[in-house]
Amino acid sequence: MTAPRLLRSGRVVAGGALILLVALSALFAPLLAGHDPSDQDLLNILLPPAWQHGGDPTFPLGTDSLGRDEFSRLLFGARVALLVALTAASGAAVLGSVLAHIAGYFGGFVDWLIGRAVEVWMSFPPVILSLILMVGLGTGADRVVVAIVLVDWTRFCRVLRVEVLVTVRRDYVAAARLAGFSHLQTLTREILPATLPLLITLLSLEMGIAVIVEAVLSFVGLGVSADQAAWGQMIADARTSFAQAPSTLLVPMSAIFLTVTGFNLLGDGLRRTLDVRLGAARSA
Amino acid sequence: MIRRLSFNLAPGRILGVVGESGAGKSMIGRSIVGALPTGFGITNGTLHLGGEDMVCLTPARRRALLGRDITFVPQEPMTALNPVMTVGAQLDEHLKRLGILSRSRRRERALQLLDEVHLPNGDALFRRYPHQLSGGMCQRVLIALAFAARPRLVVADEPTTALDVTVQARIVQLIAELQRDEGTSVLFITHDLRLASRICDEIIVLYAGRSVERGPAASLLATPAHPYTRCLQLSAPAMSGSRRSLFALPDRMPGLAALAAMHGCRFAPRCPIADADCRTVDPPDRTAGQSHLVACLHSNNLAGIVVPNHAIMAPTNTGDALLRLDHAGKRFRTRGRPFQRSGETWAVRDVTFEVGAGEFVGLVGESGSGKSTLARLVMGLEHASTGRILLGGRDLTRNASADSRHRLHWAQMVFQDPQSALNPRRRVGDIVTQVLQAGWQPMDHGRRMERARLLLAEVGLGADMLDRYPTQLSGGQRQRVNIARALCTLPKILVADEIVSGLDVSIQAQLLNLLARLRAELGFAMLFISHDLSVVRHLCSRVLVMYGGEIVEEGAVEKVFADPQHAHTRALLSSVPPDEPEAAWPPLQQSAR
Repeated sequence: MTAPRLLRSGRVVAGGALILLVALSALFAPLLAGHDPSDQDLLNILLPPAWQHGGDPTFPLGTDSLGRDEFSRLLFGARVALLVALTAASGAAVLGSVLAHIAGYFGGFVDWLIGRAVEVWMSFPPVILSLILMVGLGTGADRVVVAIVLVDWTRFCRVLRVEVLVTVRRDYVAAARLAGFSHLQTLTREILPATLPLLITLLSLEMGIAVIVEAVLSFVGLGVSADQAAWGQMIADARTSFAQAPSTLLVPMSAIFLTVTGFNLLGDGLRRTLDVRLGAARSA
Repeated sequence: MIRRLSFNLAPGRILGVVGESGAGKSMIGRSIVGALPTGFGITNGTLHLGGEDMVCLTPARRRALLGRDITFVPQEPMTALNPVMTVGAQLDEHLKRLGILSRSRRRERALQLLDEVHLPNGDALFRRYPHQLSGGMCQRVLIALAFAARPRLVVADEPTTALDVTVQARIVQLIAELQRDEGTSVLFITHDLRLASRICDEIIVLYAGRSVERGPAASLLATPAHPYTRCLQLSAPAMSGSRRSLFALPDRMPGLAALAAMHGCRFAPRCPIADADCRTVDPPDRTAGQSHLVACLHSNNLAGIVVPNHAIMAPTNTGDALLRLDHAGKRFRTRGRPFQRSGETWAVRDVTFEVGAGEFVGLVGESGSGKSTLARLVMGLEHASTGRILLGGRDLTRNASADSRHRLHWAQMVFQDPQSALNPRRRVGDIVTQVLQAGWQPMDHGRRMERARLLLAEVGLGADMLDRYPTQLSGGQRQRVNIARALCTLPKILVADEIVSGLDVSIQAQLLNLLARLRAELGFAMLFISHDLSVVRHLCSRVLVMYGGEIVEEGAVEKVFADPQHAHTRALLSSVPPDEPEAAWPPLQQSAR
């Protein structure tokens, strides 16, 4: 019943289309790319995009200072970005929401403990915390995922805990306990369906955040390994050359911008369509 | 929505508008103040105040009238006041708008107003915020605001519905008193025919947007001419005399969509004496007595309405106690400010009582008296701080997991608010058979649905409900689902917390008859929590009166109601309007609270 309603939301459709575009280019990167993303062509460095004067049609978006094809690097960078976005956001969502449900459902000392942990965790600046983690963990896409999960689970925990607290007070949760449901059954059958819309929304927003964090970490050289194409690395490479070839900076930046906008639009659209309270307020 | 409604309200009179939810009562009030929801409008007819046509007022003129000549007493007093402004500031703001320029004069007038609504210590009250006041006090402040301008018309939309019964009596009395002193006209909108007949001069009975009967309160109550009015009377449990069966109107009021397709009398599909004519002819208003109009073709034929005699056997205690509470108590810690010792509040204190097998015991008291906490103690949703709770001879005080399995088959609970008690994301069939789904070996879906079908039939719902979601049901249907779920394990005792409170009289009668039938068929006992004494009187054989967390009186229903011992029981009883029209009510000697 919710699928057609979702498709009627402009934000969901627009955001979804953007993400789909990025996902398809990531998926078919080997087919679409004309070059290997790490192939250097030192005769053709800092070429402008093909439609500009001096551009070469075999390098549609031009080349960087080592003569690597920007377009191919962009496509392969999308793979890293999406992989990190999906796994890191899901990981943070699982860790954060499990703790949130435990805290909100059982309350008391457990709630106190998890609440204080979240507060202490959140008082670290997130960028510093992830940098420290990356220094400790070493580089690589999987390390980036671990770092994002460890930093951002608190977002989920905080917001979802409140939602759980509201749901737990509903009489149907008490009724489920009286029907002999175990704690696990009550949580998964009665409470999780109520918190799921919020969880999905947060998840979508978190994916946008993960794309940025991955880019930031790659930019400072603590993200994926140097031989892998990533958007953050493309920006880092462009630092020295963007005066001569602005496209080297603009191309990866636009990719990040479009992807994050897509996730944000999708998240906002999901929030508006899935949140029962907003829907009720509008129809009243 | 509303058709062919006409009335005159003379200065200094109270007109009651009585009807169930969906009848269009509030629409009348809203069309007067010009606040109809979008999509609704006045399509024809006129509405005059004094000599002024209210339909085609300019917005500026309407604003000038509202708050001065026409004022409003709302249904939810707690939400009608601005929560971030003190009572004093809100009174002051209103008086400033009324044109009292001097600050000290405004203060003087505000104090005088608070005094008129019997709120003592006006000075202290000035600095209070609405959340620091009780519902009754908020309503008094709102009444003071409504009467501040000496308006010509006060529209009171269910002003006592959200309040305790004991408070209701005083609020009604207050409105009547101010109306008398100021000579104001009042439009009193309510669902309670008994209450309306007490304070109104004239009453309009509204059904599905149509005024079905209109007349002086006394004659309308003594000799109702419309079958709907008669059925409403017959479906409310009596407060005196012998217990009688309740007349339950079938089905419910048609919704807006159904109304459009209807011909003839709107009440015909539910009317016990309707014939073929009723379904084709829209009955015209006829005279049924002095200034008493009725819209019914068969208004002389009301004797044809007979209450089917359900056996109301007084449930008897078979001797062995099913549920026993032994000095049970529940203490809550109240959190203090930093560096302060946290306090303690007893929600339930030293409660001892028994419920025998097959016995219906009523538990009455005001809100906040600990009734619901007691129910949660019995069901193990709260742990007792003191005393013992025995169910079927087994001590459940420790609330171990083995105990809750035992409890499952002995006691179940029917919750107060079906909106909150039914998970909106699960289907009805899954909800009623929840118990069979629990644990590590749930029963398979097919067998559960079979059981669900039986349970729904038991509470009078069709099998087509199985796949619906709770939001697709009406209030009465939801409460039936709620009851069906509790009956799934065939428990020996049901704990029912205010299960008919939010429902219309005719739906309430359906449910009360249902409970009586189920009792006869299944023989369970019940702890029936309610603030409505007439319902307890109808259904229960014994009653417990709770006040401040303690049980202050206990005994057979007839005995307690006829000869109450505790002061609080007497206060509760006197706040219900008596059946006899000649008995004086509200009792005038009660002091303000």
